[in-house]
Amino acid sequence: MPVTKVLTDGIGEVDLRDLAVYRARGGYRQWERAVRELQPADVLAAAETSGLRGRGGAGFPTGRKWSFLPTDKHVRYLVCNCDEAEPGTFKDHMLLEEAPHLVLEGILLGAYGIACHHAFIYIRGEFKRGYEIFVRALEEARQAGLVGSNVFGSGFDIEVTAHRGAGAYICGEETGLLNSLEGKRGEPRLKPPFPAIEGLYGAPTVVNNVETLAYLVPILEKGANWFASVGTERSKGYKIVSVSGHVQKPGNYEIALGTTVREIIEIAGGLRPGRRLMAVQPGGGSSACIFEEHLDLPYDYESMAKAGSMLGSGAFVVFDDTTDFVAAAYNMVRFFAHESCGQCTPCREGGHWIETVLARLVRGEGIEGDDAMMLRVAGTITGLNLCALGDSIEPFLKSVLVRFPDAFKARIPSAAPASAVAS
Amino acid sequence: MADNAVNVTLTIDGVPVTVPKGTLLVEAAKTVKQEIPVYCYHPKLGPAGLCRVCLVDIEGMPKLQIACNTPAADGMVVHTRNDKVDAGRAMILELLLVNHPLDCPICDKGGECDLQDYAMAYGRGSSDLVDPKTRKPKGVDLGPTIVLDEERCVVCQRCVRFDDIIADERQLVLKDRGVRDIIATSTGDPYRHNFTGNVTELCPVGALTSKTYRFKSRPWDLQRTQTTCTQCAVGCQMFSDVRYGVPLRTMSVEHDAISDGWLCDRGRYNIGFYDSAERIVQPLYRRNGTFVQIGWDDAFTLWGKALREALRARGPEAVGAIGGGRLTNEEAYLLQHLTRAVGSANLDWRAGLARQATPGAKGGTLAALDRAQAIVTIGEPLRERAPVLWLRILKAVRRGARLIAAATPAEAAAQCAGLAPIALVWDGVDPALGAAYDGAFAGFAEVATFIASEQGNARGAEAMGMLPAFGPGYAAVAPGRGTRAMLEDARAGRLRVLSILGANPAAYAPNAAAEALDALEFTVVSELFMTETAARATLVLPARGPLEKSGTTLNLTGDLLPLHASLQAPEGTLADLEMLIGLAQQLDVELPSAEDLERAVIAHAAKLPTGFGLGDARFDDGPSVAPPPHVHRTIFDGAGTAAHDPRLTSLRALEVGV
Ligand SMILES: Cc1cc2nc3c(=O)[nH]c(=O)nc-3n(C[C@H](O)[C@H](O)[C@H](O)COP(=O)(O)O)c2cc1C
Ligand code: SF4
Ligand code: SF4
Ligand code: SF4
Ligand code: FES
Repeated sequence: MPVTKVLTDGIGEVDLRDLAVYRARGGYRQWERAVRELQPADVLAAAETSGLRGRGGAGFPTGRKWSFLPTDKHVRYLVCNCDEAEPGTFKDHMLLEEAPHLVLEGILLGAYGIACHHAFIYIRGEFKRGYEIFVRALEEARQAGLVGSNVFGSGFDIEVTAHRGAGAYICGEETGLLNSLEGKRGEPRLKPPFPAIEGLYGAPTVVNNVETLAYLVPILEKGANWFASVGTERSKGYKIVSVSGHVQKPGNYEIALGTTVREIIEIAGGLRPGRRLMAVQPGGGSSACIFEEHLDLPYDYESMAKAGSMLGSGAFVVFDDTTDFVAAAYNMVRFFAHESCGQCTPCREGGHWIETVLARLVRGEGIEGDDAMMLRVAGTITGLNLCALGDSIEPFLKSVLVRFPDAFKARIPSAAPASAVAS
Repeated sequence: MADNAVNVTLTIDGVPVTVPKGTLLVEAAKTVKQEIPVYCYHPKLGPAGLCRVCLVDIEGMPKLQIACNTPAADGMVVHTRNDKVDAGRAMILELLLVNHPLDCPICDKGGECDLQDYAMAYGRGSSDLVDPKTRKPKGVDLGPTIVLDEERCVVCQRCVRFDDIIADERQLVLKDRGVRDIIATSTGDPYRHNFTGNVTELCPVGALTSKTYRFKSRPWDLQRTQTTCTQCAVGCQMFSDVRYGVPLRTMSVEHDAISDGWLCDRGRYNIGFYDSAERIVQPLYRRNGTFVQIGWDDAFTLWGKALREALRARGPEAVGAIGGGRLTNEEAYLLQHLTRAVGSANLDWRAGLARQATPGAKGGTLAALDRAQAIVTIGEPLRERAPVLWLRILKAVRRGARLIAAATPAEAAAQCAGLAPIALVWDGVDPALGAAYDGAFAGFAEVATFIASEQGNARGAEAMGMLPAFGPGYAAVAPGRGTRAMLEDARAGRLRVLSILGANPAAYAPNAAAEALDALEFTVVSELFMTETAARATLVLPARGPLEKSGTTLNLTGDLLPLHASLQAPEGTLADLEMLIGLAQQLDVELPSAEDLERAVIAHAAKLPTGFGLGDARFDDGPSVAPPPHVHRTIFDGAGTAAHDPRLTSLRALEVGV
């Protein structure tokens, strides 16, 4: 299956940051149609029929998420999650920088779909350029009467606020994000209550990923059935995959869900000549690796889960035979330990402990039993944490430690020479 | 159906339990006496889900759940102990110990530490850790009262949440993140407010410690007595923990009806004066302008003689007594009994700015305050005046009550329109203001009134009859002279002998009172320290403090509360009660027996005063003396003893210009 162009259409060819260019290609026509001709329920129905699932990591059906909002509360918020900090993920900031009006139109449609009058976009602190581009686009749209009160004379009012984060991965977790947006410490909230019931400023809130919301534009334009006709049984439509690692042409590629893992590697230029594939981490830093035997699996939510991993945010990292998996595991665990908000015990202490052991292994100072200890700790803490970050410590580590045990044993001084050769 | 909505039935460790719907599992388990360990959960702070030690296994749920945030549901089958729970819990404890310094041998919390206890009960007993532990700052000076050991912190955030939810201060925060996170003040300024000490009790480990108690003792060496704090009119219930006769610390008592489990820093930390070297420990008699030490026999003889002579020569109008607000009910009752027995109606508990301590017919209970929809504060800030009452008000505000501090009574009444019940909390200082509020709210259906007196037993003193116009039980009597009038009489030469027990009128109107005291023939002052008033006395009697005596007090809502002596008083001192017994012998006045006294106190304390409201004219005893140009703010700052005024001893009286 080839690369497709839905959200990425026009990127790199024309300047979609220019409102006139975006509008000339049909931009904001769905927004106009929605407020003039459709009811919020129609937008929600489109989201549901399309089979669109969250592109931020959890893959939760978007329409269903919206339907959890209580109908008797009229103050409600939509928050677009553009904190994108999952290792290997770099699609949202591309959309933000290259197609800010598409992102905005997606937000507007989402807001209309849940009948909310104030939407927020939380932009990762490091995305200064993207933030500036988006704010400029927002201003332009405001000037053009696309955002504000009584848009297109429809009587619908909508305000959009762009907010820059301060540099914490945990603020991508939706309740950490809401705390941060409210000016509080960026730490996840205890659930329940879930944001749909009690979210931003205590009001019912939907948090959606940038890519999720952006897909609302083509879904309304071409129809929910068009989107639902693509993909596999329960994984519908398209997805931008951020391919990185040991491929010849790393980058963002938009594909139909169900494209095989092998095809994705090929789309990204394949491995470097003479190299052998060792592993693929298919769904961001939080996902477990899949291996050679999974190459022909369709890249969709179900198949990745069945293979013991997940599709996640669509960050697709390829590892060839030059990889030092001990160093890779260290790098991954170090990231989570560093980004742990530190409020709950298993993640705070467990992550740091495993990081310390892996650092020692990287230095070649492993001791007998390190591997079992790490598996015990990482395995036990999974499921005990307050948020999903803590549960992200185990998957990658476990998948490579179980697959390549000798690489870890080789870091134990006495055992080093023999087993290093054997692997 | 309504019944189903109210209760749910579940099984905890095989035992059926029926609890109100919404009850958290951690609370439901208590009803069947199953311990679920907790660090971050606290009934007063609610669930936080941070420590993850409260894991339980619920049938049908794949993952272990936290008992602190899971409401009981019908048909739920919960296991608080099984292999799965034990493994999860053991892991949490192992992890909590990974970076814990384990300096139990020098930790104040040792012996009453939840980390020690749960590690013993649920821990593995060993650890796989071979790498070095993280290091964090120790002995961090957080502020005037608290020292923090970051390494011992288990990041339960109870302290942070107390500061936010209960104290409404938001000074403490969790800073940085991951394993590097630390507790600190958000601004970096010293941690300082009226309630800081509570965090040392909430802290499940030895991370937050009181400066006054650090490295002083082991909990098992302390002798614990439950008593009542008398440093303001709230009457918080507290433990006095004493070792070798030295009061080392006070701790709160879970007593929801009175103090809700809190203490303020004044009540908690103001105990350093008991073993101060400056305490008066022998009667002092002024001879040729200087004090000489005398024995108790001589003291009683001199006191009795002065009174007898004045009575004989000038009649009962020439003698009077001040005190009661800092005495026990028993002492206050005897003081008025003796004074009235010799025919004098010159008696008053009031020595400062306060005019009235009993709210009268509409007087409210703390339970009524908990129900109020609007709380109107009148006068001085309650955070200083009745600190733990202020916490209760904040609690009411959290559940939705409106807090109103208006410019005028009419404005306050307008803001309360349509709300019921309403609580009026007055400081008891300006009768005109009190009366104006009483009037403005006369038309409201449900009004409960409160007077937050600055003296711990002010209401008790009034109930015992230490007022010129009211006898015991607020019985109307032919009025005598109150404190202000007595001081005037003294200046005019009409009053000759004044007995002041545990009061310091000279602190409030220094010049006027000094002049009056100097004009007296004979002034007796019972005190712990050489106060402004004691310094002008003819005879100073060394008294005992509230931790050194037993009896009862009556708090601002009329609750009769017990005082149990926990300290051996210094030799040479006597409780005011014993002084009054000694004086009665001198005057040939018959005192009630101990049993009769107890009965009288209980009966008079229980009387619901009617016939007056806030700012009633019968409490009037002359024009207000100019108050001193400052108000005392009593935030404990750990500095040495301020010596003379036990109310402020060990406290820095911040002089705030008015
Ligand atoms: C540690 C952590 C980090 C996350 N970071 C992001 C992020 O950067 N962007 C994002 O859209 N979702 C992120 N998520 C997922 C969000 O919590 C949330 O599920 C998502 O924004 C919902 O949007 P969707 O339904 O459109 O996917 C993160 C989750 C976790 C646990
Ligand atoms: S799992 Fe980690 S990131 Fe999530 S709340 Fe706990 S400590 Fe914070
Ligand atoms: S200092 Fe104590 S109360 Fe505060 S978070 Fe740490 S352990 Fe908890
Ligand atoms: S509020 Fe009053 S009674 Fe309570 S501890 Fe403080 S001073 Fe004592
Ligand atoms: S007590 Fe339940 S998580 Fe801490």
